[in-house]
Amino acid sequence: MRFIARYAKDRGRVFEIVTLYDSEVQKEQVHKEKPVIQTLSHEHPAALWFERKMQDDFGIIVEDAFDKRPLVHQEQFPKNVHPMCKDFDAKELDFSEFQPYNYEVIKGDGVFQVSVGPIHAGIIEPGHFHFSQAGEKMLHLEIRHFYTYRAIEKMLEGKTLEEAKPIIERISGNESIAYQICWRDILLQASQQELPQALQKRHAFLLELERMIHHLTDLGFIPNDAGFGAALSLGSKLAEDSRRKMKEITGHRFGFGAIDFANKFLDTVSLHEWLDSMQESIDYFEDWIIDIPSLWDRLDTTGILALKKAIKYDTVGVIAKASGLAIDRRINNFYLQNGFEAVTQLSGDVAARFKIRIAELKNSLTMMHNFLQEDDTVLTLNTLQDGEYMSFVESSMGELFMTIDIKDGVIERFFARDASFVNWQAVHLMMRNDIIADFPLINKSCDLSYAGNDL
Amino acid sequence: MIKFWNKRVKLGILTENPEFEDEIKTIQKEIKESVKKKFAGSLALRMVDSGSCNACEAECNALANPYYDLERLGIYFVASPRHADVMLLSGIMTFNMTPHVLEAYEQIPNPKWVITLGDCPIMQAPFERTFAIKAPAQEHIKITHHISGCPPSPKEIMQGLLEFLKKI
Repeated sequence: MRFIARYAKDRGRVFEIVTLYDSEVQKEQVHKEKPVIQTLSHEHPAALWFERKMQDDFGIIVEDAFDKRPLVHQEQFPKNVHPMCKDFDAKELDFSEFQPYNYEVIKGDGVFQVSVGPIHAGIIEPGHFHFSQAGEKMLHLEIRHFYTYRAIEKMLEGKTLEEAKPIIERISGNESIAYQICWRDILLQASQQELPQALQKRHAFLLELERMIHHLTDLGFIPNDAGFGAALSLGSKLAEDSRRKMKEITGHRFGFGAIDFANKFLDTVSLHEWLDSMQESIDYFEDWIIDIPSLWDRLDTTGILALKKAIKYDTVGVIAKASGLAIDRRINNFYLQNGFEAVTQLSGDVAARFKIRIAELKNSLTMMHNFLQEDDTVLTLNTLQDGEYMSFVESSMGELFMTIDIKDGVIERFFARDASFVNWQAVHLMMRNDIIADFPLINKSCDLSYAGNDL
Repeated sequence: MIKFWNKRVKLGILTENPEFEDEIKTIQKEIKESVKKKFAGSLALRMVDSGSCNACEAECNALANPYYDLERLGIYFVASPRHADVMLLSGIMTFNMTPHVLEAYEQIPNPKWVITLGDCPIMQAPFERTFAIKAPAQEHIKITHHISGCPPSPKEIMQGLLEFLKKI
């Protein structure tokens, strides 16, 4: 069974712990006076962050865990404060005394530590990487995040789904459409309605456009991190073209506010032409980049994640596919009828992740042709029913999971697990045979989200 | 590689949207002159994300693409606050990032300025105040200029930088 998520809910006198696998949901209740659970991290190492987060959020004790350090609550966060409990309603917390965080380190003669971040050299999100080094060789890496933790889960409680929308679409800028589609699916479950095919196609078109933008950006940045800047010029030009197209269709360069229930006019003729011209550019890009041996010398065999590890760590998205694991939320009738093809690679290295991005990009273009349709369907929503809802979407990073409990018409509990949340926990496995100068390249080849991870 | 040069020679220079390009050109010209006059030809920016959704960062990265090409005007994103003249601050000042933002600000040599980028740092984005948010930024740090938008487009960022240059 593939582990997907583990999270808790405050149910008055008890905590409910939900453990979600691809084929089943397990629920368990523990009394608040003795909130003790058993860890899953021995079988599913990816459960570790979920459990450490529960410990911070609710004060749940994970008895046999080998790692009980705080996750979300950093050095200056007040101790014994569990903000996801319903009785916590402070809007302001003061910094408390600095308590050092014990990093996982390897010690020994000549072994030294390299700390990187949270503010990085480039224009990227904040996060911390802690290396144990023997000369250039990386012995171990601990990834520490949650610098962009905004407490989105708490922020959304007590809001209606409509009120929550502008916040949900801004959780992670690169995956805005994917988050909106998750929100849409939950809304439709709550109103007990089916989405008309025409709207489904419009939304799927936008999701693929978002994926295109993300992959094109990476196709530029990955070679750039190996010192091949020309690819960045071309990749970022194509990404900018796609972003302008997003603006043209949705009125926003990142598609904020794009997913709604009215199908608006699309100039299908010019969009088909545009897709053809993108196809041409991408074919040219592929033909050109495949032919640069000094680049592939860096990409091949760098940052390998073996298939066995990819399964063990329950990875999803580009990382899983590059290691040979065909996990994709788009494997369903709707997408298959519109030309979806699952792509995988076997080598699990940076090169494999690069090739997956090219293949997905080309597949997206094929599907986008099929999604284009002139239509003016409008869906009027019924009143929403209370309940517990879950939805999944394949974002540009991988499987996105969102769950919302609605009680008395407002959100009782919101939880989202970005693909990055599980994938970040597998990144340190890729460093075994590489030197520290390879790290930026490996990290970029995964291109995971910080904001989506931290919530 | 030979295919690349062949294509480049054949294609020449393309302009898809003359009106937009002209506007950008005017802004670029003014920025270049201003940077030359006020910062001896090179203005160094240190981008700090204090908890944004990555859209502002993506737009700053877009400033380096061939359409906008900010470096040509003498504006650089530098790798360390110690190399910077200006801190470009995006994000909502999370509880966990605020101490690091202030530390980075300390590291910037005088004279220094802070420009806030996007609606988050001034608490105008749809996010609501929680215990994990310390925005607005002006409560912690002196802000010289603000570039609004969610996120501001590359063109708006360039315009904002120009306004900043005129202001100081």
